[in-house]
Amino acid sequence: MKNQKTENWKLKDVIMMAILGVIFSAVYLLVFQGGLALSTALTPFGLSNFGFEIIYGIWFMAATLGAYIIRKPGVALITEVLAAAIELLMGNSGGVVVVLTGAIQGLGAELGFALFRYKRWDVVSMSVSAMLAATFIFCYELYFLQYYLLAPGMLIAQLLVRFVSAIVFSAVVVKLAGDGLAKTGVVKSYAIGANADIGKVYDDEEEA
Amino acid sequence: MRRLDPTAKFFALLALTFEVAIQHNALFNLILVLLCLVALLISRVNLKTLGLLLIPSLMAALGMFFTGYRFSAGSNMPVRDSILAVGTSPLINGITLASHVLAYAGLGFVFALTTDRVQLIRSARCHLHIPQVFAYGLLAAWGIFPRMLLEYRRARAAFRARGIRTFPVSPALLKPLLVKSVRWSESLSVAMESRGFSGQAERTEYGYSRFSAGDWAFVVACCLIVPAALAVL
Repeated sequence: MKNQKTENWKLKDVIMMAILGVIFSAVYLLVFQGGLALSTALTPFGLSNFGFEIIYGIWFMAATLGAYIIRKPGVALITEVLAAAIELLMGNSGGVVVVLTGAIQGLGAELGFALFRYKRWDVVSMSVSAMLAATFIFCYELYFLQYYLLAPGMLIAQLLVRFVSAIVFSAVVVKLAGDGLAKTGVVKSYAIGANADIGKVYDDEEEA
Repeated sequence: MRRLDPTAKFFALLALTFEVAIQHNALFNLILVLLCLVALLISRVNLKTLGLLLIPSLMAALGMFFTGYRFSAGSNMPVRDSILAVGTSPLINGITLASHVLAYAGLGFVFALTTDRVQLIRSARCHLHIPQVFAYGLLAAWGIFPRMLLEYRRARAAFRARGIRTFPVSPALLKPLLVKSVRWSESLSVAMESRGFSGQAERTEYGYSRFSAGDWAFVVACCLIVPAALAVL
């Protein structure tokens, strides 16, 4: 049983997920600083929460991009957790809980793809999965950041902005990035590149 | 701090973070932040790194302070008045909320700055029984990281040389990085497998990690410090 489970994971899938995790943890960290600046700027209007909501979708990108490339059950969750864990090690000011939030977001994203029985990989399934990730993490924040204390109208507005952000970043941008990557031909051994229309491939492996 | 088992340290600090989340004692939070700083200094972390990491958390704490200060002052925010009022005066309220942010950040830094990545993965492999294909895949990916940094800097310098301005996370920079990384990950996995690595085969380990008495003491201390402190303060 256990053997069968690990057999599904090829080493290159794992390294791919880990590398996506490394790249996105760096992106998350940079974006976090940007979001901090943005929300500090909005503080005088009492809208500081929206600073993060606008860019919240970026935080689900690792999950949807990983799943879009590798297309296997579990990829979204694991990639997101890895990205969060590496983010913690790089020094996120959110503390140890980022791993937990990563797991929650990953679970949401995973559920989105599972709803389509891991058969549909396009903007629709990624949007659903990103929105579920957004909903999951929102429920957690209701408790942990004590959002339940805020006015209901404000909460709904926040959630809507987060949905839009999730669709824009984690579905549309990820789709573009994934397709762009498929076009370069480097991912032809993964599910995404299996039937991609590969243009001219520049093989410039200058290192060695 | 460096000698603690990473898995034990992670779960102890996670438990502590949750305990911090459910109490509202500014004094305790500030003492905890001090303790974190002391622990970091004793572990001889790089002061420059620590300083750079502290800036954003101080900013976040400051933002939180003003949020708490204004909301409890009963201003016409789209928020109900008494909500964020955990303290009696606006000042205390602001400090309480800000000290929470600092405490979370401090605990995170204690973990991040005193944990060796390789040891962390070894320990997780031992205690959490993550499959070896993950353990070694992660180690391999971690090994590529310096190259990725180098590649990133190189791409940025190349754009600058052509007079093209790029911001830190611009797609123009990330795309070549992604392409290169995918290539590296493939050749790395081929290299590992051609040298006999297999996810399924039994293998022996070079270093075993076990929880020592010190690890257990740390876990227990982290779990008990909040109730104990709240009883005293």
